[in-house]
Amino acid sequence: MNPFILSILLLSLGLGTTLTFASSHWLLAWMGLEISTLAIIPLMSQHHHPRAVEATTKYFITQAAAAALILFASTTNAWITGQWDINFDLHFFPASMLTMALALKMGLAPVHFWLPEVLQGLDLTTGLILSTWQKLAPFILMCQIMPVNSSLITFLGVTSTLVGGWGGLNQTQLRKILAYSSIAHLGWMILVMQFNQQLALLALIIYIPMTFSTFMIFKTNSSTTVNTLAASWAKTPALTAITPMILLSLGGLPPLSGFMPKWMILQELTKQDIPLTASIAALSALLSLYFYLRVSYAMTLTISPNNLNATTPWRLQTTASTLPLAISATISAMLLPLAPATLALLSL
Amino acid sequence: MAYIMLTLLIGMVLGVISVASNPSPYFAALGLVLVAGVGCVVLMGHGGSFLSLVLFLIYLGGMLVVFAYCAALAAEPYPEAWGEWSVLGSVLGYLLLVVGAGSWFWGGWYEGMWVPVDELIEFSVVAADSGGVALMYSLGGGLLVVSAWVLLLTLLVVLELTRGLARGALRAV
Repeated sequence: MNPFILSILLLSLGLGTTLTFASSHWLLAWMGLEISTLAIIPLMSQHHHPRAVEATTKYFITQAAAAALILFASTTNAWITGQWDINFDLHFFPASMLTMALALKMGLAPVHFWLPEVLQGLDLTTGLILSTWQKLAPFILMCQIMPVNSSLITFLGVTSTLVGGWGGLNQTQLRKILAYSSIAHLGWMILVMQFNQQLALLALIIYIPMTFSTFMIFKTNSSTTVNTLAASWAKTPALTAITPMILLSLGGLPPLSGFMPKWMILQELTKQDIPLTASIAALSALLSLYFYLRVSYAMTLTISPNNLNATTPWRLQTTASTLPLAISATISAMLLPLAPATLALLSL
Repeated sequence: MAYIMLTLLIGMVLGVISVASNPSPYFAALGLVLVAGVGCVVLMGHGGSFLSLVLFLIYLGGMLVVFAYCAALAAEPYPEAWGEWSVLGSVLGYLLLVVGAGSWFWGGWYEGMWVPVDELIEFSVVAADSGGVALMYSLGGGLLVVSAWVLLLTLLVVLELTRGLARGALRAV
């Protein structure tokens, strides 16, 4: 793509999310969401492949519908309560509408159906932007409208963790696996958001480096299916050794960083006296853990001294920077001992 | 006046049903003309005459005309019209939805929303709609810049999406 257009689009993507973060008026927040949607559309269809164009169209339609619903909900709230400020509590009816609209924006179950298909049609870099950056703006709006309609939020959260677990079980395409992983993690964030927004933010802050690392690893290996990952030992032996740590961190296994948000969330849910919800969420994490384990098995646990499954490709020195992946992989695997400091830093 | 407003609002809901149950884009655009026109008259009844004028000019006279030309590019010789039986099914479905939503909101303080009254029109010095536009150009300068940037961004996005001649699924004719 023309570098000027590319920089305009990326900067507008940043502008949109920044506007939503900085806004105290619902119209400005809606504007920021629309700007990010608009700016990412050409990025998604830049390869002009029919599958990419299909993903772009699906993304645009769902995001536009969600944005229209946000506008409608905030207008209804302005009609009923007489003000547009985000900091004031919403009336219950526009609050529920807004929650569903933001759930559609983020890809929470039961309105998650667009996410696997859209992510599958994108290349890994754009998929990375979709999975990480595009989740920030609706997430922060969701944080600001809490507490609202506890049963709806719990329903969204538990359904998302279950759908994220069960949906990802039958997948062989890595982008769809990451889409269901995103749904499950967002479900965990939503579950705790009604009680403690700090922990939801912690979950997001740990989730982003983990997903970033996974996408970058898949990009380094140029693999989009589980089968092609099996040749990763011949391309990048170091990454083949590190990736199971990242994937199991996504699964929430101690002593990796991914355990931190899950642990804190389960503790908070227990303190709020809903141990059944906590148990269901913990059990649904097992489902996600299975397919992360399957990916790490195919990639790492089948290497030497087992039978060789691929011939060695040419290993040329890469010109791409390896620093971002190094930093995010370290964060995703080794942050658990710093849990008290992380929690203290997040006191909002 | 209340009866006029009621008729207009019923016309708007029926227009929205016709847009949603459209058999082909031309008839959806026709329904949109009806909805936008009636909506503009409702807006005028609330005292927002400037906003109504701008809506007519820009939405109907600009965006809808461009949409109609684009839809005509993908013309089919025998488009489905409203006389088809399949369309009747969707029209009835949406009518049922409207009746359901209406019955859900019936009664209580929601009933006051059915026929709204002009508010504050005798108590204002500056009309709310044109005063708002003036405010956007004076105190709301930052938002004006952001809105202008968004319009430019939309242009660049559309140009980038339709770049090239006959490539992929989007085709510049």
